[in-house]
Amino acid sequence: MKYVILIHSNPQPWGHPTGDYVAEAQALPAEQRARMDHDFDLLLKELHANGELVSGEALGAPSASRLYRWDADRTPVATDGPYSESKEHLAGFFLIDVETQERAEEIAARFSGPGETIELRPTMWPGGDEE
Amino acid sequence: MTFHGLEDVWRRESSHVLGALLRRHGDYGDCEDAAQEALLAAVDQWPREGVPDNPRGWLIRVAWRRLVDRQRARVARERRELTDGRAERGDDPAALPGPGEHAPEDRDDSLRLLLMCCHQSLSRPSQVALTLRAVAGLSVEQIAAAYLVPPRTMTQRLTRARAALRDAGARFAMPTPDDLPARVAAVLDVCHLVFNEGYTRTSGDRLVDTDLAEEGLRLTRLLHAALPDHDEVTGALALMLLTHARTAARTDEAGDLVPLRDQDRRLWDRAMVAEGVALLERVLPRGHVGRYQLQAAIAAVHAEAPTWPDTDWPQIALLYAMLHDVAPGPAVTLNRAVAVAMARTPDDGLALVDGLLDDPAMRRHHRTHAVRAHLLEMAGDPEAALPAYREAARLTASQPEQRYLNAQAERLGGEG
Repeated sequence: MKYVILIHSNPQPWGHPTGDYVAEAQALPAEQRARMDHDFDLLLKELHANGELVSGEALGAPSASRLYRWDADRTPVATDGPYSESKEHLAGFFLIDVETQERAEEIAARFSGPGETIELRPTMWPGGDEE
Repeated sequence: MTFHGLEDVWRRESSHVLGALLRRHGDYGDCEDAAQEALLAAVDQWPREGVPDNPRGWLIRVAWRRLVDRQRARVARERRELTDGRAERGDDPAALPGPGEHAPEDRDDSLRLLLMCCHQSLSRPSQVALTLRAVAGLSVEQIAAAYLVPPRTMTQRLTRARAALRDAGARFAMPTPDDLPARVAAVLDVCHLVFNEGYTRTSGDRLVDTDLAEEGLRLTRLLHAALPDHDEVTGALALMLLTHARTAARTDEAGDLVPLRDQDRRLWDRAMVAEGVALLERVLPRGHVGRYQLQAAIAAVHAEAPTWPDTDWPQIALLYAMLHDVAPGPAVTLNRAVAVAMARTPDDGLALVDGLLDDPAMRRHHRTHAVRAHLLEMAGDPEAALPAYREAARLTASQPEQRYLNAQAERLGGEG
């Protein structure tokens, strides 16, 4: 079962890892931040080693986006980002392939950090049950 | 000889080559490397010199020679590296094959190989990957493509599996009689997982040349040949045959999923049904009845029914009640609810489904709502069925099911 883990964040300035640029994370004691970095590193190594991590990317700043929408003449018109004025933006994603929903939830929880929202979404698959 | 001709030979022989090596040398990774080298040698030599009379014997001999060469090189290196001259890997150099020792004879080792690939130290995905690689003889690329992940991800799972086998000291030997039932059960679950992964695909498999349903069936046949008197292995083989028989009927021209109740039963493969039923008739009277035999028995009742309404529903409801005792689970409860609704009344079925709605995990499961919607419609309550179809469509991660469920909601007058 494949899931995407979407990292919604608002690093100031935009940067990765996002936790380094989020006020709530910066406010934590250095020791705790070092431990969180270490844990995250272990998590990525674990997912890589057991073949659960399919891919992942850190995304550029929303202000670097180009948005394409059709106008009244059904012609694509490009504008500059960001896509929405919300506080948090899509900052990165990971695609995982795991055995169960429980395992996906367990992994997603470990991606979470202060001042950010982690979204776990199943991907659609081309098969189905006939009963 | 064409490459495909060679691939066929390899698919047939690779597990025997690997088994022959593993019988004499315990490390799976070493043996797989040596077997691969023998394959490369065949790719090089056979087109020029012709296929040997006994391809399996040839492959075993060449692989064995490579394995011996490697071991000798490694022992020499480790002797140089270690001041005390003791090999670190636990291999006793004295026990290594000597130059005059000839290749191991050919013997059917399929069962040992299956048991090793499904060793309890491996995660389920690693067991699946290793079984397809070592027993089915698929390439890493083929397995990755079949599971729709990059080859790199599949390579990781296989690397992890080999390391886990080594760490666990997994031996290429028959487990003790006490351990055997659990080990065979694990192999059976892996075979069934592979089969299901392939069978539940609809459109996706057009992009993939490896049919996992065929592979799962092939692996189960292999297991059945090794353990012909095992009740659950026989039951699982029967179940897969009776299910696979429906393949031609389960998608329409557009590639959309056709549920069992709407399938054109003339398209079912009668030879496969007959084989499945014959297996089941042989095993059921023996007494012990496990989950695979029960599921196969249910599939057999469907296979013998001319239509959905003319199915022996009391019999199916009874079999699901037995399955609930042996292997309870939400999927069993949902299927049982449908059978009870058909055998008695829709409200009796709905009572079973409503029990699941108290469980938060099942409330988020699309099939709970899909079955509820269907039963509400049967009960003559389309107003209640419509939102249940909608909820089921929203929750499923299956594209064909989502199209089907949305179409049901639309049929009941919902917005498209």
